[in-house]
Amino acid sequence: MRDRSTPTACTLGEAMITQIASTIEDGIVAFHGFGSPLVQLALHLAKRTHALNLVLVAGATYGVNPTPPFLTPTTNDWVMNRGAECHLDIEELFDLAASGRVGRMFLSGLQIDRWGNMNVTRLGQERLQLKLPGGGGGCNLSCDVRYVTIWTTAHRAPPDPKGRRRFRLVEDCDFITSVGHRTAEGKTRSEMRYRGRGPDSIVTELGVFDFDESGHARLAALYPDVDVAEVRANTGFEFPMRADLGPVPLPTPEMVEFIRSLDPLRIHERELRPEERARSFALA
Amino acid sequence: MYTQTDKRCDLASLVANVGEGDCVAIGGGLSWREPMAALRELVRQNIGGLKLVGSAHGIDVDLLCGAGAVALSAESYVGFEQDFGMAPNYRRACESGAVAVRDSCCYTLVQQLRAAIAGLSFMPIRSVRGTGFMQLHPDYKTMLCPYTGEELVVVPPLQPDVAILHAHYGDAHGNLHIEGPPVADILFAKAAKKVIATVERVVPTERLMDIGVTIPYFYVTALAEVPYGAHPTACYPFYAYDRRHTAEYHRCASEGAEAFRDLYLQPYVYGCPSHAEYLEAIGGAEALQRLASWQQGSDAWRDLYA
Repeated sequence: MRDRSTPTACTLGEAMITQIASTIEDGIVAFHGFGSPLVQLALHLAKRTHALNLVLVAGATYGVNPTPPFLTPTTNDWVMNRGAECHLDIEELFDLAASGRVGRMFLSGLQIDRWGNMNVTRLGQERLQLKLPGGGGGCNLSCDVRYVTIWTTAHRAPPDPKGRRRFRLVEDCDFITSVGHRTAEGKTRSEMRYRGRGPDSIVTELGVFDFDESGHARLAALYPDVDVAEVRANTGFEFPMRADLGPVPLPTPEMVEFIRSLDPLRIHERELRPEERARSFALA
Repeated sequence: MYTQTDKRCDLASLVANVGEGDCVAIGGGLSWREPMAALRELVRQNIGGLKLVGSAHGIDVDLLCGAGAVALSAESYVGFEQDFGMAPNYRRACESGAVAVRDSCCYTLVQQLRAAIAGLSFMPIRSVRGTGFMQLHPDYKTMLCPYTGEELVVVPPLQPDVAILHAHYGDAHGNLHIEGPPVADILFAKAAKKVIATVERVVPTERLMDIGVTIPYFYVTALAEVPYGAHPTACYPFYAYDRRHTAEYHRCASEGAEAFRDLYLQPYVYGCPSHAEYLEAIGGAEALQRLASWQQGSDAWRDLYA
C-alpha cells in the first residue's frame, strides 16, 4: 500500500528534470551554470540516484557538491552553495573544461539548429531586433566540455494570427553563441579539433532528441501526450527518427518527492509557459 | 602600485576616480555583492560613456544603462535569470544603438585578464572558433601552435581602467577580504589600472591578517566604508538579496526609459545624495533587519524569496 502522500503523477517539469538527469554520467565533473532551475534540480537528482560520485559544480557560486535547503530564483546566492565541500575559482572551472576534465555542461538557446548550434546573444542578423541576455560561459564550454545536454522549455511554436511560427528549433541561428556538430561553414567538430564531443541530447517539452552519426538532431522519445506530427509542426527543420522511438521514461514517485522537497517554491516552473505547467503524466 | 598608508575616503571621492569613457570592470555577479552604492554615486556624478567588461551580471549593468552611462557592453550575460527575466534597460539601450554590443564569454574574459596580469601581448584559447564571437571581435586572431600545429584563438590583454568592487572587510591600507564566491573580482583587481572598493566594515590590519587577505593592498587605489553598499544585491553574511526591492526596480525598468527615470532613478538615486538617505528610502532599519533574517534558519531564509 502506498502512503497517501506518495505522488501518483508527475508534472511536465518533473519529467523534464528526470530526462536531463538521465544524461548525467556517474563520476564526472558536471556544471550547471545559471538561470537554469530544471538543470540544477536534475544535477541534484542524478547525484541522489544513479550518479553518487558526480562532482557537482554549482553555477555562479562554483560550490562543489552543495546541499541547498531549497532552490532560489537567483543562482549566485549562498542558499545554493550551502554544504559545499569546497569551491572553485572562475578560472579553475574553465581551465578544467579547457583541459578536457569537465564531463558535461547544460546549455539552452532562443534558437537551436539541427546541428545543436545555439543563439542566446541576439535576434536579427543585419539589424539587432532583440538583444538577448547573452551566453555566459556557453561559447567556450560548448567547444571544450566532453558532452553537452541541450534543453529548452519552448519548443512549441504556436502560429500567430497570420499563421507564422517563430520556431525555437530553427533552420538557421541569427548568431552562433555556442557550437554544435557543424559550424555555419559546414565544418565538423573533428575538423575544428574541439576538445569536446558536442551535444548528445536535446530535452524539450515535446520530446527528446539525440544526434545521429552525422551530428544531426534525431527524434528519440516523446511525452505521452505528444505525437510526431506535433513535433514536426513545431520544428523549423526536417529531422530523422530513431527506429525505437518510444515514450519518455517517467520518474519514480521517490524521484518526484525529492524534486518537490528541493524546490518548495516551484522555481523550475518559471521556465515553463503556463499551459505547459498544467501538463501531468500518471506514474506506473 | 598603490602604497599609501591610508586610502580611506568618502563615497563621492572614491567614485571620482572613474573617468568619462573609462573601461570599467564591475565586481560581484548576478545578485551577489554588486557595488551598487558606488554605481549609484557614479550616476549622480554623471560619469558616462563607460565601456563595461564582465562575466554574468544583472541589476548593476542594467542600472547604468538606464541612467545612460554606458557606451559599450562586453559582458557575457546581463539579466535577472528566472527571477525577473530579461534586463529591460540593458535591452533598450542595446536595441536603440546607445550601447554598442560586444558580448564576450567567461573564459575569453579570464584569458584576456590573465594576459594583462602577466604582462603578455595575448593568451591562447582552443574554443570560440566557429562562433559568432569571432566576427563580433575583430581583435581576436588565430595562430598555429608552434608545438602542435593546432589552430588556436589568441585574445589581447584586457586592462580595465578601473575595477569597482564591494568587499566585506578592508583596512586603511587597502587590503580587502571577501567572504564566499569572489567571482572575477581577484582577476579584475590584478588586471585593472585602478581598483576602488566599498567595504561593509573597515577593520584593523591585524583583524584582516587573521581572516585572510583576498586582494592585497598594493592593487587598491582607494576604499570607502559603505555598509549595505551592495544593496539590493546580497552581501552575506550581513544581508541577503532584497528580492522585494529588485521586483520594484524591475517593474519600473519594464515601464520604459522615462518611467524608470521618474519612478526609480529619481527616488532612489538622484533624490538620495547620500547612501544614508538611500537606506532610508528603501525602508530603513526595518527593511535591513528583514534581510538579516536569513540567519534564523531555512524557513526565514525561504520567506525572503516568497
